[in-house]
Amino acid sequence: MAAVKETIEDVRRLEADKYKYGFSTDIEQEYAPKGLSEDIVRFISAKKNEPQWMLDWRLDAYRRWLKMDEPVWANVNYPRIDYQDAYYYAAPKDAAKYKSLDEVPPEILETYKKLGIPLREAEVLLGVEGAEATTAAEARERPRVAVDAVFDSVSVATTFKAELTKAGVIFMSISDALQEYPELVRRYLGSVVPPTDNYFATLNSAVFSDGSFVYVPPGVRCPMELSTYFRMNAQGTGQFERTLIIADKGAYVSYLEGCTAPMRDENQLHAAVVELVLLDDAEIKYSTVQNWWPGDAEGKGGVYNFVTKRADCRGRNSKVSWTQVETGSAITWKYPSCVLRGDNSQGEFYSIAVTNGRQQADTGTKMIHLGRNTRSRIIAKGISAGRSDQTYRGLVSVHAKAEGARNFTQCDSLLIGDQCGAHTVPYIEAKTPHATLEHEATTSKLSEDQLFYARQRGLDEETAVALLVNGFCREVLQELPMEFAVEAQALLKVSLEGSVG
Amino acid sequence: MTLPVKLSAFEAALAEQLPAGDLRAELEGRGLPHRRVEDWKWSDLRTALARLPAEAGELTLTMSRAPDARRPLMGAPDQIMARLAAALGGQAQVYDLHNGETVTLDASVAAGAGHGAVVVRARDGVHAVVRERYSAAPGAMLNLNVHYAISPRAHLTRIIEQDASPDAVIVVTTTMDLSQRAHAAQTTLGFGAKLARLETNISHGGQGASLEMNGAYLVGEGLHLDQTGIVRHTGPGGTTRELFKGAAAHGGRGVFQGKIHVERAAQKTDAKMNHRGLLLDGRSEIDAKPELEIYADDVVCAHGNALGAMDAAALFYMRQRGLSEPRARALLTRSFLAEPLERLSDEAVREALMARLQTALEGMS
Repeated sequence: MAAVKETIEDVRRLEADKYKYGFSTDIEQEYAPKGLSEDIVRFISAKKNEPQWMLDWRLDAYRRWLKMDEPVWANVNYPRIDYQDAYYYAAPKDAAKYKSLDEVPPEILETYKKLGIPLREAEVLLGVEGAEATTAAEARERPRVAVDAVFDSVSVATTFKAELTKAGVIFMSISDALQEYPELVRRYLGSVVPPTDNYFATLNSAVFSDGSFVYVPPGVRCPMELSTYFRMNAQGTGQFERTLIIADKGAYVSYLEGCTAPMRDENQLHAAVVELVLLDDAEIKYSTVQNWWPGDAEGKGGVYNFVTKRADCRGRNSKVSWTQVETGSAITWKYPSCVLRGDNSQGEFYSIAVTNGRQQADTGTKMIHLGRNTRSRIIAKGISAGRSDQTYRGLVSVHAKAEGARNFTQCDSLLIGDQCGAHTVPYIEAKTPHATLEHEATTSKLSEDQLFYARQRGLDEETAVALLVNGFCREVLQELPMEFAVEAQALLKVSLEGSVG
Repeated sequence: MTLPVKLSAFEAALAEQLPAGDLRAELEGRGLPHRRVEDWKWSDLRTALARLPAEAGELTLTMSRAPDARRPLMGAPDQIMARLAAALGGQAQVYDLHNGETVTLDASVAAGAGHGAVVVRARDGVHAVVRERYSAAPGAMLNLNVHYAISPRAHLTRIIEQDASPDAVIVVTTTMDLSQRAHAAQTTLGFGAKLARLETNISHGGQGASLEMNGAYLVGEGLHLDQTGIVRHTGPGGTTRELFKGAAAHGGRGVFQGKIHVERAAQKTDAKMNHRGLLLDGRSEIDAKPELEIYADDVVCAHGNALGAMDAAALFYMRQRGLSEPRARALLTRSFLAEPLERLSDEAVREALMARLQTALEGMS
C-alpha cells in the first residue's frame, strides 16, 4: 500500500511541476494509480524508458480516444465500463501466489488434471514458489517451442535465444524491442492497426503495457514455434497486450498465443492489439487458445476481452492463417482480420468458440480482398451452452481490382440446451464480377441419435457430448499445432461441463 | 456523444410538415437513415434524398376496388420511414380480403415526396391474392407503409413489382402478422431506383404457419435496390423458405439483407434462406447480409449466400452453338433469375413476370 501511496504522491508532484523536469525513472511502485489521464500515459512511457516519439504516439492516441465513443453494435450486454476505475499499469510481480501446491484450491488442481497439464507445469502456471527453476530444466527439453524473452528470470528464454539468434530471428518483448530495435518498431507499429482504428485499439495504443515483438528476416524459416505460453503466466496476463510480428520476404513463422489453463485475473478489462505484417512470399501461422476467467455462475467478475487482431498481407503470395480456440472470458469482442493486399495472397480463419454459463461472445473475422487472385477461407464453429449467447460476425469484402478473388465461408452453430443463443451476422460485399464468394451457415442442436449411440457404447453423457463436439469442430482442431490440438480437445470437454443433464 | 445533424433541405421540409412531437423531434435530431445506421449500411437514404427537390408531392394509389374502411396507422418505433408514411400519408386505406379475390394496388408518385399507408386483412380461412406495383417519376419520392394481418388458416399470395425508376427514391415498409396455421407467399420482382428499399418485417406465429418469400431483381445503370426481410418466429413449429436471386449490371447495385430471428418459444422452427447474386460487369456491386439470430435449440436453420460471375463454360457453350454473346448472356441471366419466379403457382402471373424480366434484359444488352 505504501508503494501505491507513494506513486500517487509522485504523480501529484509531477502534476504540480507541470512536467518541468520530466519523469524520473527510478519509481519502484508496482501499480500506477487508478484511472486514466495524460499523466498515466506519460508514467507508463517513462517507466519503460521509451523514446520521445513513442510517448508522442501514445499521447496522440490517448487524445483521440477521449473523442471516441465506445462501440455498441456488438451483440453483447455488459454494464458500462468505468475507465477511471481501473489500473493501467502494473509492474511484473515476482512474488509467488502460493507457497506450495498444498495451498492451491483442490478444484483448480482438478481442472488442471482434466486438461492433462503435468503437475510441474501447473506449479509454474499457478505461480507456486520455486516452481520455475525446476520446470525451466524441463522446458529446455521441450524441443520446438520457444517462449518470449520477457520470461528472463528463468533460463528458458536464453536456451532458445541462441538458436533464434543463429537464424537471425528477433523475438523479445516489445518494450525491449523499443530499446534495441527502435527503428524497426517505429516503422511497423500501428501500420496495420493505426492508433485511430477503433475505440479499444486506440485505448491500447495509449496505454499498452507489453507484448511480443517478432521479426523474421528474409528467407528465414523460423526454426521453432514461438510461444507466449509461459510469459503470460509468469507475469500475470497482459492487460493491454501489444503484439507485432513481421515476416519479411519469404519468411515463415508459427506463433502460439495463450494457454489452455484457466486464467484468473483481477483485471477485468483486456484490450489487446495484434499486428501481423507479411511481405512477399511470407507466411504467418497464428494460433490462439484463450481460456480466461468467464466469471462466476451468474457471470459476475469475468474478463472482458476486447481484441483487435489484423494481418496485412502486403507482399505477393503471402499467406496468413488465424486459428483460435476461445472458451473463456465473460465478454469476447474479437475479429481477427486479413487485409489481402498483395496479389495471390491468402487468408485463413479457423475458429472454435465455446460459450457456457452466462458468457457472451461476438467474434468472427474480416477478409478484405484488394489484390488479384486473393483467396480466403473461413471456418467458424460456435458452440453455445447454458445461458450463453454467441454471435459470428464476419465481413468478406472484394474490391473492384481483386479479380479472381475467391472466398469460402462456413459457419456452423451448435446449441446445447434451450436457454442459449446462436447468431450469425455475415456481411458480404462484392464489387467485381471476377470473384466467387460462397457462404454457408447452419444452426442445429446435438443429434439425439448420435448421443444415444455414444451412450449405448458405454460413454457417460459428458464424454459423449465431448466426443460429438470434437467431431463438430474437427476441421478447426486439425489446423492447430500438435501441442495445442490435444489440449484444446480436453479444454472443450471441460468448458462444456455441466451443460447437459 | 452524438452530434446533432445538419438537416438537408429535403429533411427540413419534411420536418416542417410534421406536427410537433416525438417523430418530428427524432427527424430533426437524427435526420433520415444513412449509411452509419446499421440497418441502412448499404442504402444511404439520406444522401439519395439530399438532392431531391424538397417539395411535398402526392402519392397516387390506384386500386382494383374501393377500400372497406379508412383508419389511422402507426409504424413500429424503430421504423422511421413507416412512421413518416403513416403520419404524412393521411388515413390508411383498409382492405378486408374476400375469399378468392385478387386485389391490385398501384402506388406511384409523379412529383415531390408522396406518402401513404395501406392495411390488408385476410380473415380466418380466406384465400386471396394481392398484386402491388410501385413506381416513381424522376425527382420524386414514394414512401409507403403497408400492414398485413393474416388470420389463422388464411392463405395470402402477395406479388410485388417494382418498376425501374431512375432518379427517384422508393421506400416501402411492410409489416406482416402471420397467425398460427396461416400461410403467406410473397414474390417480388424489382428493378431498382436511384434508391429503392423494399423492407418486409414478418412476425411468424408458428404452429403450422408457413411463409415463403421469393424475389428476383435486375439492376442496371444508376439503379439501386435493397431488399430487406426480417422474419421473427414467435411460436413453435413454423416454417420459412426464402429464395432471392439477383443480377447487377452497368454499375447497378443490389442489396440483400435477410434475417431470421427465432425466439426462445419457437422450438422446432424450420427456416432456410438463400441468396444468389450475379455480377455482370466490373462496375456493379452486390452486398449481402444473411443473418440468423437464434434463441431456441431444437431448430433447423440454415442460410446460404453466393456471389459470382456468369459461368464461363456455359457462355462458351452457347457461343459455340452460334448465339451472339449479348444474347447468350441474356439467356443465362434470365434462366438464373427465373428460379424464384417459377415458384409462383399461378401460371398467368408467372408468365407475366417472366415477360417483364425478358423485356428488361433485352433493354439492357
